[in-house]
Amino acid sequence: MTPTLTTARPARGRVGLAGRGAATPPPARSRISANAVILLLMALPSLLVILLINVYPLIYAANQSVRMGSLIDAGPFVGADNFAEVLTAESFWQAAGFTVIFSVVGVFGSWVVGFAIALMLRTRIPGANTFKVLLLMPWVIPVVSSAMAWNWLIATPSSPLPMMFESLGLGRPLFLADPVLAMITVCLFKVWVSFPFMMLMMSSALAGVDTNVYEAGKMDGAGRWQQLTQLTLPMIARPIYISWILMAIFCVNDFTTVYLLTGGGPVGSTNTLLVLAYRTVFQDMRTGPGVAIAFLMTFVLVVISVVLYRQIRKSSLQ
Amino acid sequence: MENSTPSNGFTRRGFLGFAGLAASIPLLASCAPNASGTVDSDTVLKFWDMPWGAPEYSDTAARIVTDYSKSGMPSWSYQTIQWNNFYQTFSSAIASNTGPAVSGGGGFQAFQFAELGKIAYADNLVETMKSSGSYDDFLPGTIDSMKTADGYVAMPWALDLRVFWYKQSLLEKAGADVPTDWDSLVTTGKALRKIGASGFGIAGGSGYNHAPQAIITLMLNNNGGLFDKDGNLDCVTERNIEAIEFTKQLVAENIIDPGMISYSMDNLVSQWGDDKVGFGIHEPGLALQLGDTTGDVSVASPLTGPHGDTGTLMFVNNIMMYTETPSQEASESFLEYYLDNMITLWEDDAVSRIPVRQSIVDLPIFQGNTHFVKIVKEYQPIAKSYAYPASAGFAGLAAVDGGMQLWQFAQTVLEGKTDAKKSLEDLSSELAKVL
Repeated sequence: MTPTLTTARPARGRVGLAGRGAATPPPARSRISANAVILLLMALPSLLVILLINVYPLIYAANQSVRMGSLIDAGPFVGADNFAEVLTAESFWQAAGFTVIFSVVGVFGSWVVGFAIALMLRTRIPGANTFKVLLLMPWVIPVVSSAMAWNWLIATPSSPLPMMFESLGLGRPLFLADPVLAMITVCLFKVWVSFPFMMLMMSSALAGVDTNVYEAGKMDGAGRWQQLTQLTLPMIARPIYISWILMAIFCVNDFTTVYLLTGGGPVGSTNTLLVLAYRTVFQDMRTGPGVAIAFLMTFVLVVISVVLYRQIRKSSLQ
Repeated sequence: MENSTPSNGFTRRGFLGFAGLAASIPLLASCAPNASGTVDSDTVLKFWDMPWGAPEYSDTAARIVTDYSKSGMPSWSYQTIQWNNFYQTFSSAIASNTGPAVSGGGGFQAFQFAELGKIAYADNLVETMKSSGSYDDFLPGTIDSMKTADGYVAMPWALDLRVFWYKQSLLEKAGADVPTDWDSLVTTGKALRKIGASGFGIAGGSGYNHAPQAIITLMLNNNGGLFDKDGNLDCVTERNIEAIEFTKQLVAENIIDPGMISYSMDNLVSQWGDDKVGFGIHEPGLALQLGDTTGDVSVASPLTGPHGDTGTLMFVNNIMMYTETPSQEASESFLEYYLDNMITLWEDDAVSRIPVRQSIVDLPIFQGNTHFVKIVKEYQPIAKSYAYPASAGFAGLAAVDGGMQLWQFAQTVLEGKTDAKKSLEDLSSELAKVL
């Protein structure tokens, strides 16, 4: 007979109340398994929801990545052909290269700007809070709006920035039409959109640093640079790594920035893996290779996250 | 004595069992077959449509559908599907058997879904329309453009053609004439360049089909194309090479502005408005988009290619029926009614498209639009589809039209660095992957 809660609880109660050991308590194993079954049953609906939402799509996508079909019909099994095709395609490596550039500039560019502003706002300046609110604007404004604004600023010869360059005798830079300039523009846009997040993260990290440490450092003869590199940075290393992990994930998974500003062009120069995966699935209608790109991208993201997570653990131990 | 309390009849086990049962009901219901073949009074059939232009379009189209339902026929719902991710929307709905019975959509969507066995062929409807005489109201070739070896995949309702437009005030300012052939296009383009305007407006931004469609229009204008008569890929041809060389010449002469490689459609239209484009290829509704009522922006006659050929790119907008319908009879009956009553869209000025029916072309309101009349008269007879010279469309054209290959090819051409033959060879190998 399977032990139930109704038999287990009175036994425990009687022992507790009598305090004489008159009743033999049921074996612990039975109690645990009974509780475990009940807990499992209670958690089952939530588990099912999680499985349906997370695991099922993943399995479904994994199945699609090894088949050559469409969104309606998964198609015949092709093994690792999709992965092989993707890994040997020039467009994949071009997109992978720009994803790396975009992510590195996005993470470190926004961190440098955000950290520098956080340091400046730490000093007593009038209206610091107002500045903070204004500086948050790029992060708060929907990317759709800011991408439209940047497009208006730079896209055509009648746009303000090209006209300004031309009137200064600097020619007419093709911000979105020249492959190299387009890459720079997209990266700058990402830094501009993301630095407020870094500023907030670093501001809160810096707020936790005891100012007495700096006094002690000064007494030991540490200059400003030494205070920054030997005191501040090590003390806020953990939030720095966390912000890097988060921003790396944001950058690799950033679809809207590239899609809205350049669409991945010109000639694929600003294509990221995510945009490439999207276009392969929904525009080329080649589900298998598109999902294969997404899987490869996820794998790289997991590797980056693990490496940075180890750094967090190291910094915690130190 | 807490455990001696009698059960209130709703134990945990009972609750869990009940919850499981309740959860399984919708699941089981969704697995049940739903195509009974008849339509009961509670069934509402679904018609999905695309936002073809002004907001008034959807309201008027919805009214046509509502009027049908009020007339004692089966009830139909009207839903607008946005163009963003429309393929994903249709695919997921069809895969889960929650799609529409009848829908509009992309130009080649019907061919694509027909290949997957999801399209109900319109052969019966075509026969019915032949009997009623309404078949003869369709412009020549429009219904046949939907015909495949297995049947008619959809019914046409409008044409979308690529048309040469010019801006009279800019041409006068530049002292140039309206181009009539490729050579005069270069002459006019050079004159426009001198006054800071582009002589061949093009939107080459990634994801925009304008530039590839403009380049393919030039290919068709030179009697080239992407396929052969049997529908096999055949794009590395002398005529196509000539068209690409010509496009590269336009780039080299700055007749196509170098920035246009990244233009969105909005960028291009704003450049027309800002007097920065004097000539170019565009959709039939450019003057309306620009709000031009003075006739400054006008339709030019089709250009003649270097070998005396003419031609432009055409898409046939169509409405398709799906196999997943409560009643095929109801779908056919509705589609016949809808096609016959779409005239309201033009009568109410709710749509700015070229109709496929002569009765709509003859409407005074349509005849009052000189641009549209000229397009029907001069462009429709020379229009060719992506499939040209093959007469019928096929599923792969959906990927060709919406895929990355064409605009990446267009950007390569607009960059002006790659040899014409090489860019066509690259296009051919890329298209082969999706076809």
